[in-house]
Amino acid sequence: MRWLDKLLLRWRSLFRRHDVEHELDAELRFHLQQQIEENLAAGMSAEEARYAARRTLGGVAQIQEQCRDARAVAVIETLMQDVRYGFRMMRRSPTLPGVAVLSLSLGIGANTAIFTLIDAVLIKMLPVKSPEQLVVITWGAKDWPKIVESHRGSTDRGNGRVTASSFSYPTFRQLRARNSVLSDTFAFAGLEQLNVSVAGHAEMASGQLVSGNYFSGLGVQALAGRTLVDEDDKESAQPVAVISFRFWNRRFGLDPSAVGKAITVNGVPFVVIGVTPRKFFGVTPGNAPDLFIPVAMQLRVAPGWAEHRPSLFQANDSWWLRVMGRLQPGVKLQQARAALDVIFRQSITAGLSSLPPPQEMPAIEVSLGSKGLSDLRSEFSQPLFILMIVVGLVVLIACVNVANLLMARAAARQKETAVRLALGAGRLRLVRQLLTESVLLAMMGGALGMVLATSGESLLLSLVSGGETPLALDLRPDVRILGFCLVCSLLTGILFGLAPALRGTRVDLTPALKVTAGILGAHDDRSKRGLGKLLVASQVAMCLVLLTGASLFVRSLQKLNAIDAGFNRYNLLLFSIDGTASGYRSIRLGTLYQDIQARLQGIPGVRSVSLSQHRLIGGSASTAGVEVPGYKRRPNEQMSSWMNWVGSGFFETMGIPILIGRGISARDSETAPKVVVINEAFARHYFANEVPVGKRLGDNTQIVGIVKNAKFNRLQHEAPPTVYVPYLQNLESIEGMNFEARTVGNPTAIVRDVRSAVAAVDRNLPLFDVKTQVQQIDESLVQERLFARLSTLFGMLALLLASIGLYGVMSYAVVRRTSEIGIRMALGAECGEVLWLVLRETMLVVTIGLGIGLPAAVASTRLIRNRLFGLEPADPLAISGATLVLIVVTVLAGYLPARRASRVDPMIALRYE
Amino acid sequence: MGKPSGLVQGTLDLLILKTISLEPKHGWAIVQRIQQVSAEVLQVQQGSLYPPLHRLEQQGWIKAHWSETEGGRKAKFYSLTRAGRTQMEKELANWDRLSTAINTVVQTNEA
Repeated sequence: MRWLDKLLLRWRSLFRRHDVEHELDAELRFHLQQQIEENLAAGMSAEEARYAARRTLGGVAQIQEQCRDARAVAVIETLMQDVRYGFRMMRRSPTLPGVAVLSLSLGIGANTAIFTLIDAVLIKMLPVKSPEQLVVITWGAKDWPKIVESHRGSTDRGNGRVTASSFSYPTFRQLRARNSVLSDTFAFAGLEQLNVSVAGHAEMASGQLVSGNYFSGLGVQALAGRTLVDEDDKESAQPVAVISFRFWNRRFGLDPSAVGKAITVNGVPFVVIGVTPRKFFGVTPGNAPDLFIPVAMQLRVAPGWAEHRPSLFQANDSWWLRVMGRLQPGVKLQQARAALDVIFRQSITAGLSSLPPPQEMPAIEVSLGSKGLSDLRSEFSQPLFILMIVVGLVVLIACVNVANLLMARAAARQKETAVRLALGAGRLRLVRQLLTESVLLAMMGGALGMVLATSGESLLLSLVSGGETPLALDLRPDVRILGFCLVCSLLTGILFGLAPALRGTRVDLTPALKVTAGILGAHDDRSKRGLGKLLVASQVAMCLVLLTGASLFVRSLQKLNAIDAGFNRYNLLLFSIDGTASGYRSIRLGTLYQDIQARLQGIPGVRSVSLSQHRLIGGSASTAGVEVPGYKRRPNEQMSSWMNWVGSGFFETMGIPILIGRGISARDSETAPKVVVINEAFARHYFANEVPVGKRLGDNTQIVGIVKNAKFNRLQHEAPPTVYVPYLQNLESIEGMNFEARTVGNPTAIVRDVRSAVAAVDRNLPLFDVKTQVQQIDESLVQERLFARLSTLFGMLALLLASIGLYGVMSYAVVRRTSEIGIRMALGAECGEVLWLVLRETMLVVTIGLGIGLPAAVASTRLIRNRLFGLEPADPLAISGATLVLIVVTVLAGYLPARRASRVDPMIALRYE
Repeated sequence: MGKPSGLVQGTLDLLILKTISLEPKHGWAIVQRIQQVSAEVLQVQQGSLYPPLHRLEQQGWIKAHWSETEGGRKAKFYSLTRAGRTQMEKELANWDRLSTAINTVVQTNEA
């Protein structure tokens, strides 16, 4: 308990100071008394005894001071003194601190908000048991292995190598059963759109297929009920599901009796057996499934995945499960990789008549899984870091302003400083006091910033995640975020406070004490003014970097907006329907979609309706191998094309011109001869010198038309060679479809009619992703627009701050030189000459700033190269535009003080001194 | 100022600890005791005793309580804590080593 005693003592000496002092008094008094008695006993007179006693004891005040130091709380005491003094100074002139606090809070708040996102996506560990033991198992190969015919999950082609996320079910079984390096090996697969009906009310929800040991492997306990176990993960087992806290809240209102309730998932009855904890979001930050369903239920809830295969559970060529594991204690990543690779190779080569060629032989890769899967990480880390740099620069510019203001104030307080120094105050003590004041400012800015950050967080999140459903991230502030905000504030406080504090306390005492406050500045040494200008020049440089970035983003967005998509984006309503989620299959599915199409045609105000597997500029796409008879394949050429399965009247509805032949029409039914329509890019690539219409694709499919190129999944990409196939002729691989309705007027006006038309066909069929084509395109550009807007906003802010900085420094310089200017004018200097005198200084500052800023801008904008469309980072127009704006605004800011200088009345100026 | 004359740096702490190790004493008594035992060789400037006393208290090696002296006055008595006793043993051992070493050096007769 020793530390507790100590703590009590410290507490007492800090906050019960009077008691402690009083006690020391009593102690010393007792000592004196004792000594006096002794002296008396030795035969001294009363007076003599008292004097002698005082002599032997020494100076009481010194002893008291030394005792205070010995109590080791002096540091805190002076700090509190400084803080009190700082507050007093702020109260006396609140404008400057007010402006400083406000601009700092904006900067720190924005930084904290961005850091919160970065933390949630990039830094935070999964909220599960010992996340540092988790590993993610993936594979990589030089070329795509032919044995993997279908792959669900993420793939990455870069550095001449493919890496992919998923494994076949048999391989997962082998990995799980035979390895001795992982204590748990579990698998999962995302189910994006599930039709979940609770108490007769259907809605789309997201889900995840998970192996029976998923929850035990992650070490996650159920909040209510139980989690899944291996017995649930059997094809013969009763279908059960674990729901997320969010889903429990959304659909059951946190009702405890939800456990045991029956729900239907894609038409299959399930029983809810448990709820996951509130913090748990699966293993992918930003993507929180609503339902967790055993992998064995795949056949029932997602039968389309098997395509032509009887079952995915025996299939070796369909890889669809992501695998994670928990390392046994003491096992290294490399060991685990080697051990798993052996099992993996045996599993994929078993039953093959010949081994795959070496470049197609996949190998296991094992990476740390403590932060979960990295999908979001790669997607958001760069934009977030760019934003952080932008905001950081703005904070720096704001810091410079505060530093300049503080320096001006330190100059005004020079006499106070000089008096203190003359009276024997240590310089360090004064620096500490000035620093305390600026850190205090920064802390207040930080506190306000924290409030701004928490309230602006959801806004930022929806901006970053675009038009899709906002990312499900846990953004509640925690210790780390508070810590970040605190460190930010401290750093900025020291950053902008140090220079003024050091400058302000280096005072030449004699002149400082002699002059009166008003004309003190005239006696400053030149270097002191030079620092302020250098700081402003650095502001100009940072400003140029931001403005260049902003103009690049804006020009890039303009170019994107001017792109011809190849179809008519206006007056088009889009929505999705997934018949397979309600149990429709093959022929019935085709009939369902045809019925809906026919009903929609009847809605007043609808010109035409069609449907397609992929909506245009929707981000999704499919590719498939093609055979073009007569086409000479180049070496190593992959014969593949982008595919879209479309309904009748697709080109007419979308406004894609048909160049030759015909489009897809109602007569291209299941039973009709197989046909396709190709686009120009396909025709040019595969039929360079021939007429493709009438030619065959593969064995029995005829090309009946060529359409103009239209953008497919992204506006930024060139229209790829594309084959359009009637969806009715390929019902086996069709799941959900996107409907497109061309309207006469505002497309959103018909949404109600559309809903009732669909409900008339099947009441339990939910519509989802309802939006106009214009919205769809806007959403695909949301990040670009976000960057353009935010960078413009911050660029303008930076420009404003830099102008204020320049204006302030120049005004101050003019005030200090008033008498000099007066003398010049009295000696016959013209207005224009004086104007030029001051303006020249401004130009010099701006020129130095540009000199630093231009190379910096060219160098730093290279970081955003991959975010620009149709522009080089060193785009001359963007850089010269930014430079021009900067020059105009800053020279204007410098002109105002210059004009004031030129209007100085020599008589007044000379009397000034 | 305040350093006891002729005292090796840091030894005042040791003297205080040793002096109060037998029984609790107030400040004045500690000074008297040090001078008396050292046969007046060690002259402690009386006031310089208090800062170390307060520091030792902050460090948790000694603790203080108010009680009555034989003369019936209230005085602040200092006594050793358990941690203080350990500290004293440590400093004593240090002191032994140091003084032996110094003795060896100064008493070596050059042949």
